[in-house]
Amino acid sequence: MPSFKKAINSQVGRKFMTGITGIGLMLFLIGHLGGNLSIFGSAEAFNIYTDKLMSLGPLLYVIEAGLAFFFLYHTILGVSIWMNKRKARPEGYTEYKSRGGASHQSLASRSMIYTGSIILIFLVLHIIHFKFGADYSTVLEASGKEVRDLRRLVIEEFQKTWIVIGYVAVLGLAILHLSHGFWSAFTSLGMKHGDTSKKIQTIAYAFAIIIMAGFIFIPLYIYFTGGQGSLIAN
Amino acid sequence: MCFRVFVANEKVMSKNFTVHLKYWRQDGPTAKGYFEERTLDTVNEHMSFLEMLDVLNEELQLEGKDPVEFDYDCREGICGSCNLVINGQAHGPKKGTACCQLHMRNYKHGDKITIEPPRAAAFPVIKDLVVDRSAFDRIIEAGGYVSVKTGSAQEANARPIEKETSDIAFDYATCIGCGACVAACPNASASLFTGAKIAHLGLLPQGQVEQSNRVVAMVDQMSAEGFGDCSNYGECEAVCPKEISISAIAEMRKDYVKAMFS
Amino acid sequence: MKLDSKVPEGPLEQKWSQHKKTMKLVAPNNRRKYEVIFVGTGLAGGAGAASLAEMGYKVKAFCIQDSARRAHSIAAQGGINAAKNYPNDGDSIYRLFYDTIKGGDYRSREANVYRLAEVANNIIDQAVAQGVPFAREYSGLLANRSFGGAQVSRTFYARGQTGQQLLIGAYQSMMRQVQEGNIDYYTRHEMLDVVIIDGVARGIITRDLVTGEITRHEADAVVLATGGYGNVFYLSTNAKNSNVTAAWRAHKKGALFANPCFVQVHPTCIPVSGDYQSKLTLMSESLRNDGRVWVPRKKGDDRHPNDIPDAERYYYLEERYPSFGNLVPRDVASRNAKIVCDDGLGVGETGLAVYLDFRDAIKRDGEDTVRAKYGNLFDMYENIAGENPYKQPMRIFPAVHYTMGGLWVDYNLMTNIPGLFAAGEANFSDHGANRLGASALMQGLSDGYFVLPATIGNYLADVKPGTRYGTDHEAFDEAAKKAQDDIDKLLSIKGKRTIIDFHRSLGKIVWDKIGIQRSKEGLESAIKEIQALREEFWKDVYVPGDKNNYNKYLEFAFRVADFFELAELMAKDALDREESCGCHLREEFQTEDGEALRNDEDFSYVSAWEYKGVNGKLDTELHKEPLEFEFVELKQRSYK
Ligand SMILES: Cc1cc2nc3c(=O)[nH]c(=O)nc-3n(C[C@H](O)[C@H](O)[C@H](O)COP(=O)(O)OP(=O)(O)OC[C@H]3O[C@@H](n4cnc5c(N)ncnc54)[C@H](O)[C@@H]3O)c2cc1C
Ligand code: HEM
Ligand code: HEM
Ligand code: SF4
Ligand code: F3S
Ligand code: FES
Repeated sequence: MPSFKKAINSQVGRKFMTGITGIGLMLFLIGHLGGNLSIFGSAEAFNIYTDKLMSLGPLLYVIEAGLAFFFLYHTILGVSIWMNKRKARPEGYTEYKSRGGASHQSLASRSMIYTGSIILIFLVLHIIHFKFGADYSTVLEASGKEVRDLRRLVIEEFQKTWIVIGYVAVLGLAILHLSHGFWSAFTSLGMKHGDTSKKIQTIAYAFAIIIMAGFIFIPLYIYFTGGQGSLIAN
Repeated sequence: MCFRVFVANEKVMSKNFTVHLKYWRQDGPTAKGYFEERTLDTVNEHMSFLEMLDVLNEELQLEGKDPVEFDYDCREGICGSCNLVINGQAHGPKKGTACCQLHMRNYKHGDKITIEPPRAAAFPVIKDLVVDRSAFDRIIEAGGYVSVKTGSAQEANARPIEKETSDIAFDYATCIGCGACVAACPNASASLFTGAKIAHLGLLPQGQVEQSNRVVAMVDQMSAEGFGDCSNYGECEAVCPKEISISAIAEMRKDYVKAMFS
Repeated sequence: MKLDSKVPEGPLEQKWSQHKKTMKLVAPNNRRKYEVIFVGTGLAGGAGAASLAEMGYKVKAFCIQDSARRAHSIAAQGGINAAKNYPNDGDSIYRLFYDTIKGGDYRSREANVYRLAEVANNIIDQAVAQGVPFAREYSGLLANRSFGGAQVSRTFYARGQTGQQLLIGAYQSMMRQVQEGNIDYYTRHEMLDVVIIDGVARGIITRDLVTGEITRHEADAVVLATGGYGNVFYLSTNAKNSNVTAAWRAHKKGALFANPCFVQVHPTCIPVSGDYQSKLTLMSESLRNDGRVWVPRKKGDDRHPNDIPDAERYYYLEERYPSFGNLVPRDVASRNAKIVCDDGLGVGETGLAVYLDFRDAIKRDGEDTVRAKYGNLFDMYENIAGENPYKQPMRIFPAVHYTMGGLWVDYNLMTNIPGLFAAGEANFSDHGANRLGASALMQGLSDGYFVLPATIGNYLADVKPGTRYGTDHEAFDEAAKKAQDDIDKLLSIKGKRTIIDFHRSLGKIVWDKIGIQRSKEGLESAIKEIQALREEFWKDVYVPGDKNNYNKYLEFAFRVADFFELAELMAKDALDREESCGCHLREEFQTEDGEALRNDEDFSYVSAWEYKGVNGKLDTELHKEPLEFEFVELKQRSYK
């Protein structure tokens, strides 16, 4: 039995952990999208949701720390895999062509490090943007509690053309990351190559597109309706 | 009663065509390599790719030049000696075919053909297109065997093995150790080669006993040799002359995780 | 020189077990003090190196390729025999023994062959334990098939890759010993000489094929498991690096070379397409089970084969051998293909091929059935020949496949030089004048796993442990210098003809005149032609590159130089053997209807040749080991 440290740093262990962290991040995305979509619910739904989160208190910190750890770990692994490849092939080919067929080389799979890095940069900006953005507040009708009005912030921010363009562009690129990542994570965790794996690849495309379409819908809708659309109750 | 074997009659000659070759030259492991170009007019559709290189080498020698070194032995796609990267594809364009079995009928008059050695830090160039693949031997040495002493085996039929399992194990066992998987992998990973051996032995009852130690030792050795990680590109399966499935890599990972808990 | 085969006394069935009981042993703690060199790590060498290392001997193993896994054994397709009698069709050790003796046309030693049949079963056990994935039935038990005309199903197989799987098994066992430090493993090393001190083999000289360095290795015993010499024909089914150099150099140091003219030709190979052809690809003989062999009746009929009506097709095997038809043995099928082509009836662009037609099988059983049986062979054919065998007949032609001849060894697999052993295809031991399908793998592994480990111990028990002369001994100096000088000489010629060109010309002579069919006249002229060409070779060959670098053409150069000498010996051996036997036909010795005529009265012996030098011509002395048959009755073959 290998020591845990050795195992986790082995090629298999590292890849296994990219998969685990990747799946963790995907689960976060599902949750985050769910939460974000509550902006289309009743006028207060979104703020109630964010407030609920805040009221988790220390637990929220634990969750956030976990999330940060996942992002960080995933990033470190991704970057180290990429650096390793440069060590393993110092001199490249003058000509290189995929054989196609069984190959899973695609724009998506070959650009993981780039799409990943862009997501990372986005993330930093995104957190500055919203978590540490303008601190509006509002009073919840039902409970009369004073809470942070993130809804307003989001709706305001997504009126700005350059922000919407930025978000849409990044979220579009994230489709690439997920469409390979979803399939790849299963493979990293031991999925065999065959019919199931082909289905998983189809599901991966669907998943990537649906999740990201969900995210993209928010800024676009708000932008084009000027925050007054019928889906957004006032 | 003379018996002709070596014939090149007109009918055969008339089908000759021309290709433009660009191939890697490197005098030794530490020497700087470069490309050399040459046009070959006497290519025939029945020639194998390596026979085409033989013809090139005959020409070079007749001009007093050094022939291009490349590795081969069986020329039947089974020994795994040959491993050229042809126009950017390990073993060339044909699915499930080693480059010694690739025939020139897959090319046409005027084609440009670039030939490079497999490129990986773990496969240093020896000369021209010949590389040192002893890293593969060391991966097998680390655990790619069943520890059975000669003479200590039990009766062969004492332990039946489900046909289906045995057939799958066979699929993995067909690896010829050519290294095309490494050559084609964008990460220069040896995961398919290593996984194929781990999967072959791990599926059979004879190999299961040592599987935990085997998988850990072989995976360790693979990294120690300087091969890259596997990012699930699957290019290795696409170029593998035996079309070994990347399920082998999945088996390797599964068994590694099992080993952690054993 | 008296040839002592050292066959133990006693009844046939007990010779080996009795011998094992009485052979001397080396105590386990003493084994580490002995070093054994294995030159060659194919089935025979790989199995032997692994087994001796497991026992505790210090082993050094050498091979030409960059890994032991690439030895020529890897290419064997069909299978491996053993008399397990799993199918319960009446097989037994005796029957396997009998079939092998008979298949070899009564030119092998009974005792050796019996031992081979006896240990074959252990090989299967061993291979299965190593994880060799032999074909299995749905019951989970091992499957067998019948092969090469045998009347029982005794062939174990792993799809069309039996040799590969067996070799990988032996290779893996070997690598385990490398890891344990019991084997020093030298790849890309070629043996150039054996070192003999006081008449005993004490080491070898090798060339590092990457750096060109000539190195010396001392040991207490040397095993040559360097494979066959089929490449003397230039074109053969052998791998390109197969050669006679190790065996030949040992021969030049005094080891006798036995039966060099016994070469097997395989009838179903993909034909030659042109001058550039570098090797011939074998297709499984099983194709003859359903394919019908024919040529057009009319000379120069260049219609598409599908347009030639049945009445104008000459199904020559069916006509000449009504009872066996297309299933006549390898040599008969090969010879007849040659005869029809000599008569100008050959087909294809070169006229050197006959048709193997599946039209009727496809009509009878349907394309799917045929595909299920032969799909991968058909695909292979289509890939190489560029024609679809479902739509038109295959073209096939015979090709050199296996060499029964080799270094002379006694029952213990030791050559006449003490301490020098030979195993696998490199020795002459078990196949007589012809080898049955699926029995070369059996022999290589039997030699390596079961015979050598016992007999080398027996030999070493008489060698004082720790005897060392040092690699600076004058015998090493001399051999190393000779090896270097030969290389320097080749490189200095800088002539105008390439090595391959010479080899091709040599091959043509050997194929034409020392091939399937021979005559006194042809053999005599072959000897002259070989001598002349050899002289030209040493004057006009161009060897490129330098000696201190990887240089494959330099390797070829010295191998071809050795083939030149071997070829002459083959011709002399063929000339001496005034009978038609096993794989070859001497034109002067045939029955009225053109069948082989064996002469047991005068030629029941092993020809063991002693080397006396080359000086324009090859000087030799022939020693004969008479073959006595106590347990089987000699019968003339008939396939009519
Ligand atoms: C296409 C084909 C199909 C066949 N199919 C079958 C079959 O189905 N069944 C069957 O029983 N037989 C078959 N045979 C025959 C069988 O494969 C061989 O006879 C057998 O494998 C020989 O094994 P070996 O160990 O003696 O030698 P090889 O496997 O030839 O090994 C020779 C070794 O010697 C080394 N070597 C050679 N010269 C030197 C040197 N000078 N210095 C250092 N090392 C050297 C090589 O590197 C290699 O390691 C087939 C043969 C061919 C060609
Ligand atoms: C929400 C954010 C992210 C999600 C959902 C996500 C998801 C995934 C998934 C599922 C995989 C496949 C894992 C595997 O192959 O086993 C993956 C791979 C990868 N991710 Fe991410 N990822 C995210 C962010 C990032 C970030 C920030 C980076 C930073 C650089 C990154 C870099 C990579 C790289 C390089 C790979 C490929 C790893 C390899 O080559 O083996 N990802 N990602
Ligand atoms: C249109 C799309 C998106 C909207 C409207 C949105 C909205 C928000 C808001 C409002 C917050 C602040 C929550 C708080 O402080 O409680 C937040 C935080 C966050 N968002 Fe997004 N987000 C979007 C897309 C994304 C994407 C694609 C990612 C991942 C790559 C992401 C990752 C995060 C993270 C990690 C946090 C910090 C969570 C925390 O610290 O609790 N978001 N997002
Ligand atoms: S896995 Fe395939 S490509 Fe890789 S070494 Fe084995 S046969 Fe070659
Ligand atoms: S191509 Fe490389 S990334 Fe993995 S799946 Fe194959 S080893
Ligand atoms: S030369 Fe043997 S596989 Fe290509």
